[in-house]
Amino acid sequence: MKKSGFWLIYIILLVAQLLLSTYANFTPYVMVTLLPVMVLCMPIRMHTILAMVIAFASGLSVDLLSEGLLGLNALALVPVAFARNAIIRLIFGRELFAREEDFSIHRNGFGKVLVALVLSVALFLAIYIWADGAGTRPLLFNAIRFGASLVASTLLSLLVVNLLAPDSR
Amino acid sequence: MRSRKVLPRLISLAIFIALEIASLQLLSHNAQLQRIWLSRSAHGFMGAVWGSTQRVQGFFRLSKTNRELSLENAALLKELTETREALRRAHTDSLGTGLRQESGFVIIPAEVVKMSRGSQHNYLILNRGYEDGIQEKSGIITRNGVVGMIDAVSAHHAYAFSFQHADISISARLGLEGGTGLLVWDGSGNRGAILKEIPLQYKYNPGDTIYTSGHSLLFPPDIPLGVAGESRIINGATNEISVTLFQDFSAIRYVSVVHNTAFDEIEEFVQ
Repeated sequence: MKKSGFWLIYIILLVAQLLLSTYANFTPYVMVTLLPVMVLCMPIRMHTILAMVIAFASGLSVDLLSEGLLGLNALALVPVAFARNAIIRLIFGRELFAREEDFSIHRNGFGKVLVALVLSVALFLAIYIWADGAGTRPLLFNAIRFGASLVASTLLSLLVVNLLAPDSR
Repeated sequence: MRSRKVLPRLISLAIFIALEIASLQLLSHNAQLQRIWLSRSAHGFMGAVWGSTQRVQGFFRLSKTNRELSLENAALLKELTETREALRRAHTDSLGTGLRQESGFVIIPAEVVKMSRGSQHNYLILNRGYEDGIQEKSGIITRNGVVGMIDAVSAHHAYAFSFQHADISISARLGLEGGTGLLVWDGSGNRGAILKEIPLQYKYNPGDTIYTSGHSLLFPPDIPLGVAGESRIINGATNEISVTLFQDFSAIRYVSVVHNTAFDEIEEFVQ
């Protein structure tokens, strides 16, 4: 897939995230997010600084256009972009960087992609739930929210990861 | 080569921090709850940082503080000695003897720069010499008792026999008005001593305080030295009492050198 194709899907998923944030608030225990997988699947050649700036802009646009707190998604998403290279290096090894090759389920295996997704979604949710609660919610509530949101968001991310990181890219 | 890798990482880190701060700013400007939470967290963080800074500064100021305390201690000790002397004079006058004791002590603060504790002939070296006013035949004390006596003096240092020296004895009194004897180191331990040659007619109880007698010319009288413990009778004539000293010899650093201004005059007179 060409870069333009990736960014087109990225923008479509951003709109999807906007809709999810606005309409998919069924329970306070679950929040569904696609943002971490979108950042994780950015082209591997992209510099961390650019990835962080795009993540900040993406988070901010979701915050602005949905009913959330302005700055909350941006606050949680920038660390995912900052840690993106480290997560990829940890799970998939340094070879991807040497070959400048993006990861995919077919090439790198379902298990590794799942672990990478779980790590990035967990990082995002930990910061999001911590800042959203602002120290007022009990630990049990935060823990249940974190667990339920991690499962829901990871499952949804697995559905879209093939769009963002296809084998042909 | 390595700096080429470090610099981009530092720039990334700086931009990461800047973006996070921007996010937090936006969050605090748009949500009351988050504003209060961030403000409270920031205050807590500042408090912890300033508290740690103060502790570190305090640690590095300890040496200066100790010197100041040592000087203050010496000044207070001098004042105490003068007050005791004035009280004794007043007491002597009230007895109607018409006699006066005119003796005073010069007190100079000093720091122990070297000290031995492992032999039977222990010594101390102080960081003050004759240019600082230290003289031979002076005593060394702390607020916890007697430490030793000056034996030799150079321009900037003084060599002293420690109380923990087999040949050193101090004239000591059992209580403020009890029998007088010789206090010597027991030869082992940091706080052990023996009070010898106490006549049997002087009664005492374990726990009574031992003071300097003032008979030795080296030390002011009535400095508390330790507490009496068990006793035993020697040759059917005198008591020998074990003493637990107030001064722990393993923890000596700042001391005061005391010199009797009438020492030479009295020595000359005795000879």
